[in-house]
Amino acid sequence: MKNYLKLVNFEFNRIAKLFAVLLGVTFVIQIVGVIVQSRYYLSMANELIYEGMLSKVKFLENYGHMSLSQIVISMWFLVPILLCVAAVGFYIFLIWYRDWVGKNTFIYRLLMLPTTRLNIFFAKITTILIMTLGLVASQLIMLPIETLVMKSIVPKEFIMDITLNQIVISMPELRFIFPNSPIELVIFYGAGVLAVSIVFTAILMERSFKWRGIFAGLIYSAVAVGLTILPLLLNVIVFNGFFYTIELFVLEIIMGLLVLAGSILTCRFLLMKKITV
Amino acid sequence: MKKYWKSTAIIFVIVVSIGSFYVNSATSAEHYPKFVIQTLSGNAQEIKPLIIKGSYADTSSMTYVNTSLAISAKGTTYESRSILDELVGNPPQEIKRLQEKYRTFMRGKGFSGELLFENKKFLAYANVDSGSIKSRNHKFEISVLTKEDDIINSFKMDVPKGKEMDYLHVEDVQIIEDKLYLITDNIISNNDKQYEEKHIYTIDLATKKIIDHEAIIQFSRSQEHTRIDVQLVRTSPTKANDHLILLKTENKVSEDMETTSEEVVSQEIISYNIETKEKETINIPGLRLGGNQLSFYDGSTIYFMRLDGRDLLVTPYRLADDTVGQTYSIQLSGEKGAVSEPITTVIDGKLYVASSQMNADLNADIIVADAYTGKTLFKGQVAVDGSSKDNSQFDLSLYKLFVN
Amino acid sequence: MIEVKAVEKKFGRKKILKGVSFTANKGEITCLIGINGVGKTTILNAIMALTPFNKGQILIDGEPINKNSFEKITFIPDTITMLPHMKIAEAMEFMDDFYTCWNQERATELLGFFRLDPNDRIASLSKGNAAKVNLLLGLALDVDYVLMDEPFSGIDMFSREDIANVFTSHLIENRGVIITTHEVGDIEHLIDKVVLLDEGKVTKEFSAEEERENEGKSVIDVMREVYQR
Repeated sequence: MKNYLKLVNFEFNRIAKLFAVLLGVTFVIQIVGVIVQSRYYLSMANELIYEGMLSKVKFLENYGHMSLSQIVISMWFLVPILLCVAAVGFYIFLIWYRDWVGKNTFIYRLLMLPTTRLNIFFAKITTILIMTLGLVASQLIMLPIETLVMKSIVPKEFIMDITLNQIVISMPELRFIFPNSPIELVIFYGAGVLAVSIVFTAILMERSFKWRGIFAGLIYSAVAVGLTILPLLLNVIVFNGFFYTIELFVLEIIMGLLVLAGSILTCRFLLMKKITV
Repeated sequence: MKKYWKSTAIIFVIVVSIGSFYVNSATSAEHYPKFVIQTLSGNAQEIKPLIIKGSYADTSSMTYVNTSLAISAKGTTYESRSILDELVGNPPQEIKRLQEKYRTFMRGKGFSGELLFENKKFLAYANVDSGSIKSRNHKFEISVLTKEDDIINSFKMDVPKGKEMDYLHVEDVQIIEDKLYLITDNIISNNDKQYEEKHIYTIDLATKKIIDHEAIIQFSRSQEHTRIDVQLVRTSPTKANDHLILLKTENKVSEDMETTSEEVVSQEIISYNIETKEKETINIPGLRLGGNQLSFYDGSTIYFMRLDGRDLLVTPYRLADDTVGQTYSIQLSGEKGAVSEPITTVIDGKLYVASSQMNADLNADIIVADAYTGKTLFKGQVAVDGSSKDNSQFDLSLYKLFVN
Repeated sequence: MIEVKAVEKKFGRKKILKGVSFTANKGEITCLIGINGVGKTTILNAIMALTPFNKGQILIDGEPINKNSFEKITFIPDTITMLPHMKIAEAMEFMDDFYTCWNQERATELLGFFRLDPNDRIASLSKGNAAKVNLLLGLALDVDYVLMDEPFSGIDMFSREDIANVFTSHLIENRGVIITTHEVGDIEHLIDKVVLLDEGKVTKEFSAEEERENEGKSVIDVMREVYQR
């Protein structure tokens, strides 16, 4: 356990720089977005009220109040968030391969640590999770700051006060990233961990068996995904909707846990018996 | 401990930020306005069993997010958007009751009341399994639960002349004594001609065989300049009825360069006795229903409804003795003299009417009246509870009435 | 004792190790000698469970390798095993963090011995210094067995001298060492036992001292004989 925590800390320190850069880029792009959009709204209001002779009330009726929920649906927000998603996705692979490539092969050290090799797997998957949740948490902190920036540009009477939750709800496309309830958080990110564990298994297969490992990894991934959605498929194809949704949900959770356990055991076997530096 | 500060910091940020976000969501659910039903006149007891389902949207910002809600005499409950609620599903009240009571039988039976039938002795379900569309391999899937001994009888049978049918679906299921009646809508292709039928199949429950079937009415939906539409008049979907009420509407379609407009040319009301298979035309002079779907049949009386300006005009017609009752009108509040189609239902001789829309300028009425005489038993309005946050820009849509 | 018993290993269809067997004792320096590509590194990797092998068995003090073995045996490969951005001091701290057998005193002594600056970053080290750091990280562990892969290859003369000096010092005393090399010259006089490898097999396993005393042959003489060159 202690070694696991030390490894997590070590792995996180390794990505801290990338993490900071991602946060910085996200923050800067979003702040620029807030300024640009707020100014745009303001100039539209000015034009219509002073030149178009529209009353303030009429303007608000037609164009609505300003709130951050209008800005978060713009590209200014979506692009940096997608960038972060892509970065995390890319790092899922890099977190393993960076230990093999280059002059300094850190994988020797990792595999020779006096701790169970599965801890390496757990540390890496935990790091991915911390990185993801860290980005989500930081975004939640950025939103109120961005609201302040907006309020400093747009006069008060044009602003509608909305809560952080309403801002988040106005991004339904990002519901999987910002789940609406703690239960959803556990389910969505649990599914994420499952997916990452499958990818990790495929990566370790490739590392163990090289070219043949790529095929094995692809087949493993397909089988794992197939097994995970098996209850859903069976319910539709074989059982004709026999299960109530809540039952399916429980079955899915059990299946997900089984596949996760399968991935972990496979990784354990590969790390102990098959891995090659 | 210098090397641990980064991970410690990020874990702290995660816990505090995400934690407070969800703590806030839990407490800020109160943000939505509470709608209550305000009594204007009559007996407030009348709305006790009433539940109105709808959705609320805040229109003050440009982002429209709808939230489902249910309004009853007790107040408003918003359906949380949580995944668990979605997973449990939100079936109509009637289906929910059946699922709770007959959990095994209701497996895989879906949410449509038309496919279900319930009386004291039986709960029945029928649907069509068409396989792949091209194969025209239509089969009836029937399940009957005998309540007394809790035995489920499920069987499948080929649809007679199914090979000629492009498509069919079940519109009603009835059991009278030991015979199950399936009322379907069939689309038939024959020698390049396509036509539609309302068809009735009689199935003997003891032998599980189709002992009889016939077309109730046959029609071609679109002809040149005419469009014909045949509907079953709305009724409580799972309830036992010995008659079907069909409404056949013939529309004249006029097309000019850009627009097509329709005009009702003639309308025919047909009552069909399921058991005896007798067809009868109901003729009520001066009744013009138009294209609306407000009318309701409660098993013994048909309530023909139509809108005239702000008035909902109701003409009851008692099937047993073929008597037309006095047409009465219920006035609804509306904008500029017109109202959008309200939602209606009739249960136990009482007519429940609710407006389908409410916003800052538009009131939503809730009216309960004696369905036959039109005597108002309750009149009220949906109102925003005073203690709720004041917001003048919202849209409330109501789309379904349930009476428990 | 490290026992390598009939180990076979295939790379694809090609058999690299065709039943290799030998033993290495504590307190002795065992030298694996063979031309490049004969599978010397593979044997060391296999001992450390860093690569699977197809047949045979490897035992360390009678036990197959497990996580506790890494407090007992260590491997110094020919590439540095730390991250390039780390300082030498940080690499030492990392070792201290994970290994209970890390001997900080010995590590400091080695730093002085090799004249290394703990604030230098791994990436900036010369090849010779990198090899020294590698050696430092391995030798500062209080382990019974040390495996070294080609510690002298591609390193300047002075660094070689420094490294060779390690073998005569107390740093090696009482440990079992397995060292691979294709240039015996630097350490010929230090070797206790020689394992000659050719074409995936052990062609000769002998004690250097006995060979010298009984036959009057040096290790290099024996090699010439065996490889017939």
